[in-house]
Amino acid sequence: MSAPVSATRMNRTLLAGLVIVGGFALAALAAPLIAPYDPIFQDGAARIQPPSLAHPFGTDNFGRDILSRIIFGARVDLQMAVIGVFFPLVIGTVIGAIAGFFGGLVDAVLMRLIDIILAFPFLVLMLSIIAILGPGLSSFYIAMALVGWVSYARLIRAQILVLKNADYAVAAVSLGFSRTRVLFRHLLPNSVAGSLVFCMSDSVLVLLSGAAISYLGLGVQPPTAEWGIMVAEGQAFLSQAWWITLFPGLSIVLLAFGFSMIGDALGEAMGVHE
Amino acid sequence: MKTAFRKSRLAAFAALLSLSTSYAHAAGVLTIARNEDSTTFDPIKSAQNVDNWVFSNVFDVLVRVDASGTKLVPGLAESWTISDDGLTYTFKLRDAKFSDGAPVTAEDAAFSLIRIRDDKGSLWGDSFKVIDTATATDPKTLVVKLKGKSVPFLSMMALPNASVLPKKLVDGAAADAFAEKPVGSGAFSLVEWRRGDRIILKKNPNYWDAAKVSLDGVEWLVIPDDNTRMLKIQAGEVDAAITVPFSRVAELKTNPDLKVISDPSTREDHMLINHEHGALAKKEVREALDMAIDKQAIVEAATFGLGEVAYSYVPKGALYHYADNLRRPYDPEKAKKMLADAGASGLTLNYVVNAGKETDEQIAVLVQQQLAKAGVGVTLQKVDPSQSWDMLVNGDYDISVMYWTNDILDVDQKTTFVLGHDTNMNYMTRYKNDEVKALVEAARLETDPAKREAMYVTLQKLAKGDVNWIDLYYSPYINVTAKNIENFHQNPLGRFFLEETVKN
Repeated sequence: MSAPVSATRMNRTLLAGLVIVGGFALAALAAPLIAPYDPIFQDGAARIQPPSLAHPFGTDNFGRDILSRIIFGARVDLQMAVIGVFFPLVIGTVIGAIAGFFGGLVDAVLMRLIDIILAFPFLVLMLSIIAILGPGLSSFYIAMALVGWVSYARLIRAQILVLKNADYAVAAVSLGFSRTRVLFRHLLPNSVAGSLVFCMSDSVLVLLSGAAISYLGLGVQPPTAEWGIMVAEGQAFLSQAWWITLFPGLSIVLLAFGFSMIGDALGEAMGVHE
Repeated sequence: MKTAFRKSRLAAFAALLSLSTSYAHAAGVLTIARNEDSTTFDPIKSAQNVDNWVFSNVFDVLVRVDASGTKLVPGLAESWTISDDGLTYTFKLRDAKFSDGAPVTAEDAAFSLIRIRDDKGSLWGDSFKVIDTATATDPKTLVVKLKGKSVPFLSMMALPNASVLPKKLVDGAAADAFAEKPVGSGAFSLVEWRRGDRIILKKNPNYWDAAKVSLDGVEWLVIPDDNTRMLKIQAGEVDAAITVPFSRVAELKTNPDLKVISDPSTREDHMLINHEHGALAKKEVREALDMAIDKQAIVEAATFGLGEVAYSYVPKGALYHYADNLRRPYDPEKAKKMLADAGASGLTLNYVVNAGKETDEQIAVLVQQQLAKAGVGVTLQKVDPSQSWDMLVNGDYDISVMYWTNDILDVDQKTTFVLGHDTNMNYMTRYKNDEVKALVEAARLETDPAKREAMYVTLQKLAKGDVNWIDLYYSPYINVTAKNIENFHQNPLGRFFLEETVKN
């Protein structure tokens, strides 16, 4: 019934999400200032130490400070989430818009391409592309761009299909504006809301796949601090040194949670339902 | 209806669980968890430790290596004599039977030696080429004539791969079937091999020393994940777990229900260097790398202090080990200067790492950091172990960490592989030194132990001087058993003496 209640709740969700993501972003930006130690410095005398005042999150098996590694890791993981979403968003939007607006053969070909990509399990396709390109972050971004755009393309295409018959679009065409101008100046700005909401929840997926791929040794390479690698490196010590794995794991969960709260709140505000 | 169905399923599952548990805990059956399954039961077709461990249970050899790993003792051969010219070996066989009751004859022994030399599927053909003829002069006497003198020959008779097999079951087309359902004269015989799951062995009543065998049977379980394997032994679901990760030893030692056993081994981990790649061809550059790597830090961080810094390719405790070999001090500053002098400052190396091997991955991160202090950049390339082997063989690497465990008592086998300039390119390093090559050949033929030792000492010095590779550390075999298991040991060559193991 009450719109005000739901609006407040929405605002709270948005605020909480922004605080979490913003907090990580700030930490990432100020990493050299706030991290107590060098994230790759190995202190042989302080290996596998439980959380203490000197090392609030403990140290790993190389004597590296986990808190510092998480702070520096935020740079890599946020970068993965942002770049990993940006390229699919741009590529998907352009392709989806073209397919939806021009229809016909162009549409048919592009849609079949999307069907083909969707026919493969997401992670398997990612892993195969990275295996071909060789391990590393840039391979991850390329793989993400090659695989991730399909969802955006489908979203935008559906929007454009509806909007291109709207009165203002028909009016613009009859005023003699070129088709590209109508598409990019009139239709696209009105159809991206859904994509923008979706890209928040997509960033959760990207973050998790980035961490998963680094966990498998195919993403970020050591000694760079990255949460997925940290989880992988701590796995061997799970039973005697839980802190090596727990804190980076929690960071992944928390950041993902932050993104999805923003996504939820935006979705409700814009009346978009995924 | 649904609940009832669930309950009955649960009950069935519980029954199954208790059934399998009680089976695993059957009195006198020893269950051992290991990380890999066997690959075959045809001894000549494998060169892997995982296979040899089981071959030694099921088959027997003419001559055995004792528990200390330093002496040859009688196996199926009760005694042997060597002619003065060192070319004729005469073995007297004891009265032994295969598990199917047939007697072990000199005919079988001769057949097995010729087979490992000549069979197309044999991985050991080159090592046994030295055999000219092997003949049974009577059912219990085997005479082996060599093409040339070979001091390591007797040690090779102790290879599990040279086990004595029943000729009538293996000869000709029967070999493939035999590899699935083997018959041997060892302390145990195969009941069932569930590939990827377990190997079930039972005591062989026809074993010549059966009275001494206490166990009723053995099960080799395959549990690849280190964490799971350790959880199983901690939960008491298995009697023994082998290949304990270094990181878990301290924790397991505090458990009063378990015994952690550390047996001396011949394992040495070393860093291979591709001598054909750019600056690595220069001795000074390799020396600098040796000085830039802090082996003590590796021993502490990666082996948790359980290993020991290595300084010779002949492992500690092995025959002719040279304890005074050169140990270059850890000195990254000097290393940096030496690299600059050699015109190799700003060196970047491609380091091939075996993915999924905990210790290897840790060493990679440590070495990367250490070499950075000497100004050497390291790109880690984590690949699947099977792929990394191919990359090493093809020379597609700069540095990589590998290990070696001796298969035979004699030092010649590893020496040939590492320094002998044979087809494996000195363990893929492409190391070349003609003086070393000639000395390896001469040492193989030298019968005077004192002279032979001097030759191997020289080889150890020369290899160290040239930095054929970088010796990293020696480490023991670490296994863990339940408290009620006794005499569960490996000798330095890896053989498990399960015929002596007792389950109380």
